[in-house]
Amino acid sequence: MFASRLSSSLRALPRQASAVRMARRGYAEAAGADGKLQLSLVLPHQSLYSSAGVIQVNLPAATGDMGVLANHVASVEALRAGVVEVIEENGQAGKKWFVSSGFATVHGNNTLTINAVEAYPLDNFSAENIRSGLADANRVLSSSAPESEKAEARIEVEVFEGLQAALAK
Amino acid sequence: MFTRTVRPALNVARAAQQQSQGMATLREIEQRLKSVRNIEKITKSMKVVASTKLTRAERAMREAKKYGAANNELFKHTEIEKSEEAPKILYVGISSDGGLCGGIHSSISRAVKKAMAEQPGTLAVVGDKPKSQLSRAMPQAFKVTFNAVGKDVPTFAEASAIADEIVKNGGEWDEIKIISNKYLSAISYESGVTSVISAKALQAAAGFQAYEMEEDVSKDLAEFALANAIYTALVEGHAAEISARRTAMENASNNANDMMASLQLQYNRGRQAVITNELIDIITGASAL
Repeated sequence: MFASRLSSSLRALPRQASAVRMARRGYAEAAGADGKLQLSLVLPHQSLYSSAGVIQVNLPAATGDMGVLANHVASVEALRAGVVEVIEENGQAGKKWFVSSGFATVHGNNTLTINAVEAYPLDNFSAENIRSGLADANRVLSSSAPESEKAEARIEVEVFEGLQAALAK
Repeated sequence: MFTRTVRPALNVARAAQQQSQGMATLREIEQRLKSVRNIEKITKSMKVVASTKLTRAERAMREAKKYGAANNELFKHTEIEKSEEAPKILYVGISSDGGLCGGIHSSISRAVKKAMAEQPGTLAVVGDKPKSQLSRAMPQAFKVTFNAVGKDVPTFAEASAIADEIVKNGGEWDEIKIISNKYLSAISYESGVTSVISAKALQAAAGFQAYEMEEDVSKDLAEFALANAIYTALVEGHAAEISARRTAMENASNNANDMMASLQLQYNRGRQAVITNELIDIITGASAL
């Protein structure tokens, strides 16, 4: 009986020691200590991530899909309509959102800020509505509408096709 | 009724009529009492409506502030080059069309006038109330105005429409200064200035060169940043306006209650005076018999 109590208290000690170690993290090492990329993924009406530590973020940049890991070089990327995937822990499946557009900026201090206009989880979308939306947009494109309307329709086609591709994966 | 107590000299000629018109002055007080009571009901309900709208506006503002902070991250790391000549500034005053909100619109107009006095520039205004206040002072500085904003919590779509219009018809500028009300607490607000730099200045900024870009996104980025900054200012200004309206309606209700109390006392005194006079008439008449 005594042996078991001793062993249980021994087991408790290492956990406390690591808690003390983590509490002594300094400001500058907040990002580096756990080596995670600090992500701020914000929408106008909601912030999905606010300086949260993540492992990897995959972005649909206008210049091509890219992945951002910790300590990425500073860069500014415009986002096209596509899927943003956030992998929070190693080995976990990434959380996906379909983003309509926005900007992603990696800063030199291991932070990534993404300002997206709209973002919704993939299961919020219905394939039916996407198909009918795409058909409407294509109809406007092939009609004799003014150029400004056609430009809007072109953007709509881009978004719907991106949605179809995202849902198909 | 105040005139009779404060300025008796003017009413000496009417003193004789007053006795016979004792009932008429009573009726005036009664009417006044009724109208103040109705006004108090209106201001109290407006206060309740503003209180419920405030919770929603505050929630939207908290999220919008995080959005605006993320937007500003990039500009914190880039410094603007100081040029020799005075930069061309476009001031964007952000308020709304609604009244009965205390000093919200005057706060914006005052801040715009002060800023224009220090560094003149062109002007874009969101909201009919500050537009009418400023068009009297500086009609020539106006580039573009907006209205029908602020009835409900502002959306990003509205902010991008405003930004789009400013980019199309706002003329040339090196810097945009957004003047809006900052929400300090549920009972106080203050006007503040947010700077947004133009695409040209962004490209030239030292810190910006450090960012890798496969293609030059500075123009799109500058326009997006403008829409984001306008959105944040709109939502915070909306929250400040709702809270100011709540405070103003609460003060109006309290004032109405005070007026009703003093009017009621006056009415009672008047009623008692009329009764006393009638009694005196009856008694002197009776004693004369």
